[in-house]
Amino acid sequence: MAQDVKPTRSELIELKKKIKLSESGHKLLKMKRDGLILEFFKILNEARNVRSELDAAYLNAAEKINLASAVNGMVTVRSTAFTAKESPEIQLSGHNIMGVVVPKINSTGVRKSLTERGYGIIGTNSYIDETADAYEALVEKIITAAELETTMKRLLDEIEKTKRRVNALEFKVIPELIATMKYIRFTLEEMERETTSRLKKVKARMK
Amino acid sequence: MRLLERFRGKKPSQSEKNKKGNTNYAYSVTRVRAMKSKLLPKESYPRLLNMGIDEITRFIQESEYKNDVDELAMKYSGGDLAEHALNRNLALTYDKLERITTGELNYLTTAYLKRYEIWNVKTLLRGKLYNAPIEDILEFLIASGQFTYTFLSELAAKPTYQEIIDALRRTEYYSLLQTFDGTNLAYIENELDKMYYASLFEAIGIPKSKDRKLFARFIRLEVDVKNLSNLFRLKKAGVEQSDEIMPLMIEGGLELRPEKLAHFPYGEFVNELQKTHYWDAISSVIDSDMTSLTSLESRLTRYYLESATTFAHASPISIIPVMDYIIHKHNEVTNLRIIFRGKESGLSDNLIKDQLVVI
Repeated sequence: MAQDVKPTRSELIELKKKIKLSESGHKLLKMKRDGLILEFFKILNEARNVRSELDAAYLNAAEKINLASAVNGMVTVRSTAFTAKESPEIQLSGHNIMGVVVPKINSTGVRKSLTERGYGIIGTNSYIDETADAYEALVEKIITAAELETTMKRLLDEIEKTKRRVNALEFKVIPELIATMKYIRFTLEEMERETTSRLKKVKARMK
Repeated sequence: MRLLERFRGKKPSQSEKNKKGNTNYAYSVTRVRAMKSKLLPKESYPRLLNMGIDEITRFIQESEYKNDVDELAMKYSGGDLAEHALNRNLALTYDKLERITTGELNYLTTAYLKRYEIWNVKTLLRGKLYNAPIEDILEFLIASGQFTYTFLSELAAKPTYQEIIDALRRTEYYSLLQTFDGTNLAYIENELDKMYYASLFEAIGIPKSKDRKLFARFIRLEVDVKNLSNLFRLKKAGVEQSDEIMPLMIEGGLELRPEKLAHFPYGEFVNELQKTHYWDAISSVIDSDMTSLTSLESRLTRYYLESATTFAHASPISIIPVMDYIIHKHNEVTNLRIIFRGKESGLSDNLIKDQLVVI
């Protein structure tokens, strides 16, 4: 690589500029990486809590539906489930964490009141209500977990990308540029020494 | 001809209603008592709780449900087989009750069993409205009451709910079903349930004889139990406006006055309940936050079953022993289902035990 460059003074000046730019880029990327890692850990704790809440919500919902099926019969539970007429709506937007666009999920219509669920009150019982409650809570947790876990995934991708860039700059680009700069400087010095000795020889002959 | 009339939901005439002379109460009640003696004794339930699923299935297979299990064994397996066998047995039992009763007793029994017609109409509407496959809908239908399986299959095969409603034009449900616009299913379901009780009260008429009075009282007690349970559900859900609660209450209760209780906040509502006979049955499970109402519903079911037995003892040769058998049979099926479905889904024995209503 170093041998491919023309050992000229202008090249040396250009290289010095590149090294300066790379070093400041390296510094900025390192800061970005550290910032992203901090953000990641902040979200990681939150996601860990949400995940354990999600697991608990799932177990609760499974217990409730099993209980409702046991008491009312699978027939009643599944038939009542047909009445769920409105699906929750999900709005997806994005927001920026240090240049990474992460999703923001807003949901409407997940939680419904007893009278909005679509099934008749008189012909059902509280086992059905509690199952519907538990599943609504589960859907809410799934949405929160989806938002946090996608954010974490995107942050991780970005951290990985930034880490690769930092490492590339630190261990490949900057050392190579420095080596090239050293090569040019050495070559220029060598050329200068050659010129000096040539001039001395010419001067001696002329005497 | 009778079958055709039943298809069309034709009501028996007034003279048919009053055919007390044609009713052989002694014969029907004796047969019903014999059927009741075949119900599982309460000692069976602790034993069933200690069994595994295979043992429970075998137990069901060796009991009164043998034919049903054998019949359905090709189609289903495991918990589904047991559940379908129980449902089939229940439907056949109700059909048998309609066959062994005559005259007034038959009329009242049929009127009482119309709840399954209502169930079928609701399931058909639910299924069609949300495009459930015909097989799924058929699986949920219980051929009992006036609708035979063939008729229900024809209804399930209709492509839209409008056509189902058209096919039911000769039934008493048609005028209500005409108001169904695809968005008001909850309203229709509630109105169908209210219509059931209204038609049951109409069938009972103005009770003059002791047993009719007892039967009316029994149904009014059932209405109270349903209203009480639904009042708790609504209060728990934060619904406190009378105009929201009252359309969800069934008229004709025995002691409970929903119109008085509807507007009370939860605390005062509970205080008011203390003045009723139901308080003793439910007081131990009432607390201030009521996170779950399942224990309350179990208590109310127990109270209802115990009352049915008491009523049946008070009037041994009447419709009451038949009703007593119907609800005890239903309770047995529910208890068995709770045990095997609970075991199958890994619920703890204590949780399963809490849900059982063993009298």
